[in-house]
Amino acid sequence: MPFDLVTVTVPATANHLAVLRTAVGGFAARDQFTLDQVDDLRMAVEEAAVQLLRHSRGERITMDVETTGEGVEVRLTGNVADDDPVIDESSFSWTILRALADDIRIESRDGQAVIVLAKHRLDVDGAN
Amino acid sequence: MINEDRRAHTKELFLQLRATGDPAVRDELAQLHLPLVEYLAKRFKDRGEPLDDLIQVGSVGLLKAIDRFDLEREVEFSTYATPTIVGELKRYFRDKGWAIRVPRRLQELSLRLNKLVAQLTQDLGRAPTVPELAKAAGVSEDEVLEALESGQAYSTTSLDAPSGDDEDAPMRGDRIGEEDMRLDNLEYFASLAPLIEQLPERERTILYLRFFKGMTQSKIADQIGISQMHVSRLLTRILEFLREGMEGTTDR
Repeated sequence: MPFDLVTVTVPATANHLAVLRTAVGGFAARDQFTLDQVDDLRMAVEEAAVQLLRHSRGERITMDVETTGEGVEVRLTGNVADDDPVIDESSFSWTILRALADDIRIESRDGQAVIVLAKHRLDVDGAN
Repeated sequence: MINEDRRAHTKELFLQLRATGDPAVRDELAQLHLPLVEYLAKRFKDRGEPLDDLIQVGSVGLLKAIDRFDLEREVEFSTYATPTIVGELKRYFRDKGWAIRVPRRLQELSLRLNKLVAQLTQDLGRAPTVPELAKAAGVSEDEVLEALESGQAYSTTSLDAPSGDDEDAPMRGDRIGEEDMRLDNLEYFASLAPLIEQLPERERTILYLRFFKGMTQSKIADQIGISQMHVSRLLTRILEFLREGMEGTTDR
């Protein structure tokens, strides 16, 4: 299976988050995810992007959406202050993201925070 | 009137309102908080709608908040009212958008797809994928995606919204015990409780089933008796509403 990577960069404003949501939804929908999973991913991207936006010091937010063996990985990147955790693990936001995504982690390096979300395809028998 | 005075006066008025139910007191409260409505309405002023209309719409939200506000809550009324007012404004734009911009063909396809999704979900034991849905409907995947995307952008309360559900029907299915919902979320998310109280019962149930019981949207749809697309839209709105309330809006 060819590996796809789509990158979308938008200004760091609330109005542009819809672009990210639509882009990831379109990508996932074409990649054999169920409607529930596509919606979960869209909502997760929205939530993660909103949190990143709140902490962002930069002008742009970048989203990479990549096909993987298990499904799809989404990376949202923005410039933040050093040592800014971006999302508190005891927050409701984290609870939402853990429910919507199969995997979530936050990486930071050089003044950039990257929120990484993963969603796994169901296998042929529908087990997950 | 400076903030301190307004807060004290607000509290007094609510006490009066609770004691007497006097509509004149309700009006006075609305007048008192009109500046908040104007402030919030101005955020939407660049979308091509007259500010006066926006203030009207925002005022509807303010009245809803006044009617639902519980003095026992340890929260300032203006904090409490903000997401309700903003929600009303956002809904206004969604409602305006649907009927004008979405082609009839997509509205009809959307309705047809909803029925197919319910059917396929039953057959497959899970929600269908877009290719499965396209095949069952006899249309291209692109058309399905178009219909799904157009359905996402607009409000469920619009008269033309394509869910095929009876939007105002009372909930079917098991009602979640109030007890259960409170215990699970209050312990960890105290700041969330007053916001959740503002949600209608159906929305509270959906929130609970999705994030505290981990049910899929399709299962929730089946349980409540509405379409999966409808659950999806409601969830998006619920999350937006909670975000508004927790930390102010995300608008910059």
